[in-house]
Amino acid sequence: MSSQYETFEHTADIGLRASADSLEELFAALGQALANYICPVSQVRRSQSRPLNVKADDLESLAVDFLGEVLGVVQFDHFMVAEARVSKMTSTEIWVDLLGEGYDPTRHEIAAEVKAVTYHQLKVEQQAGRWVASVLLDI
Amino acid sequence: MGKAFEGRLEQIDAFRYRLPKIMRPDMRVDGIIYSSPSLLSEVLSGGAIDQVANVATLPGIVGASLAMPDIHWGYGFCIGGVAATDPQQGGVVSPGGVGYDINCGVRLIRTDLPVGEVQPRLKELVDQLFRDIPLGVGVGGPFSFSTQEMKHILDEGAPYLMQRGLASAEDIERTESNGHLEGADASAVSAEAFKRGHDQCGTLGSGNHFAEVQFVEEVYDASAAEALGLEAGMITLMIHSGSRGLGHQVCSDAIKSLRNAPQKYGIALPDRQLVCAPLDSPEGRQYLAGMRAAANFAWCNRQLLAVQMRRTLERFFDQTGESLGLRQVYDVAHNIAKMESHVVDGRRREVCVHRKGATRAFPPGHPELAEAFRPIGQPVIIPGSMGTASYVLLGAQTAMANTFGSTCHGAGRVLSREAAIRRASGRRIDQELMSKGIFARARGRTGLAEEQPEAYKDIDAVVECVTHAGLSSKVARLKPIGVVKG
Repeated sequence: MSSQYETFEHTADIGLRASADSLEELFAALGQALANYICPVSQVRRSQSRPLNVKADDLESLAVDFLGEVLGVVQFDHFMVAEARVSKMTSTEIWVDLLGEGYDPTRHEIAAEVKAVTYHQLKVEQQAGRWVASVLLDI
Repeated sequence: MGKAFEGRLEQIDAFRYRLPKIMRPDMRVDGIIYSSPSLLSEVLSGGAIDQVANVATLPGIVGASLAMPDIHWGYGFCIGGVAATDPQQGGVVSPGGVGYDINCGVRLIRTDLPVGEVQPRLKELVDQLFRDIPLGVGVGGPFSFSTQEMKHILDEGAPYLMQRGLASAEDIERTESNGHLEGADASAVSAEAFKRGHDQCGTLGSGNHFAEVQFVEEVYDASAAEALGLEAGMITLMIHSGSRGLGHQVCSDAIKSLRNAPQKYGIALPDRQLVCAPLDSPEGRQYLAGMRAAANFAWCNRQLLAVQMRRTLERFFDQTGESLGLRQVYDVAHNIAKMESHVVDGRRREVCVHRKGATRAFPPGHPELAEAFRPIGQPVIIPGSMGTASYVLLGAQTAMANTFGSTCHGAGRVLSREAAIRRASGRRIDQELMSKGIFARARGRTGLAEEQPEAYKDIDAVVECVTHAGLSSKVARLKPIGVVKG
């Protein structure tokens, strides 16, 4: 079982790309990719947990809504995320525990502010037995 | 990024190109792109032209799907896009036609300070502004509003701050729509958006947002410049910011809640980012009420940023704002949708004008302008990239006739942020700017790298295009000397 993620470029903005053996790992990788883009996850301690439950109409919308919720936790509550643990998911619903801690300006470098998670060129699909996703962020 | 454009554009005149509606069966109107030979090749490569065509498919679109010369790829609509929809013809409103940063815009403040007096203390001044201006990245700003106060901000806009002693009557009069959109409704804004915004009113934000110290480098129209209080060699201050997390959330919420509206109203869309609903539908009205509230928030945001800059200058020079000659020139929105009266096909109608990375440019005599601007037309403020220049223009009659009273909004990006960072590798952008006489402060070096001058189109070429096309006339060119970035 493995997963990986990276960012890719786009004229005005930035994209997240992830791949994994399972859907659960794919969403966990996407969640961490977003968190890492905002504040490097190596700077964030896993001292607290925030549960998330997100429902949507389909898998792609679920990806956008899930990432939107992660963004919300960071931006509304100033809770920095180190890891997203997916406890259970279907193609329209996901249960996640976000591990991290409250924002500490002495240790956390906010590398980027993200305005929104978009639908543009959104992709969540299986390719040769592996799950892949790409999502664009408006920054 | 999208694909390079593969169709053919017809040249209408020196600065206009037509994308004929026969090109695609779903286009309801032509696309018209303001550009010039020097700007066009970049435009053709980036996928923005297909977005002009996509917008031309929206129900109720009238006139043409327009693009200003600073056109570049955006979400759904291109940046630099203008589209008017008629509610009488089933016209829709699309959050993608406004963008995530609702009422992102620019404010210009003039002073009586000669540049020569500021330059010797420039570094000190920029450092002080960098300390004082709340960037709002990570944590909130010094202004925190209760839920009740937030409701006033959202419903009433900048005039509410006047009641609180944080804005003058002149500030309000010298702001597009007097800093307030009718029909805003705080109850159409989600709890999440409130939460994202309550400590962000009066914060700059990151990305392309900035606060600048500039001076008037060149005056093109002496009498208009005098009317606006602009004089060659004098310091001006510019603020570029929007509705912060609140506006981003209002847009995200709308894109989510409108997800099923196209199907419900039988609208076929070529791009999911173009989700929309008829203006005259519960969904359309809900978005408009929330978007207007976010626009009001953005005007309050820029007002509070201006208050902060004023306080810093007063302390720094140990003089009152009045004796420093600090006065607002104007404040414009460049991401907004508004109901306006326009003549289309020979008939006056109330249409919803979406401006996404485009600026209103009303001509002299327009009834919506304050008395002070009736003789000259509406001031249009065009921010350039960090190392180049910004412009003050005036609205013109041709814009009213051809572009629903709109003109360009800035330079327009040409390099992705990562490409810009790569290109900055091994360089010190701050030192390069310094060698041009610009002192810049940003949180990190990547912020300066992403926004380096090479990342943008040539602002002079963009402004030449809108002035030659008659959409605006030039008043003055402003040169930055100090930049603060989030």
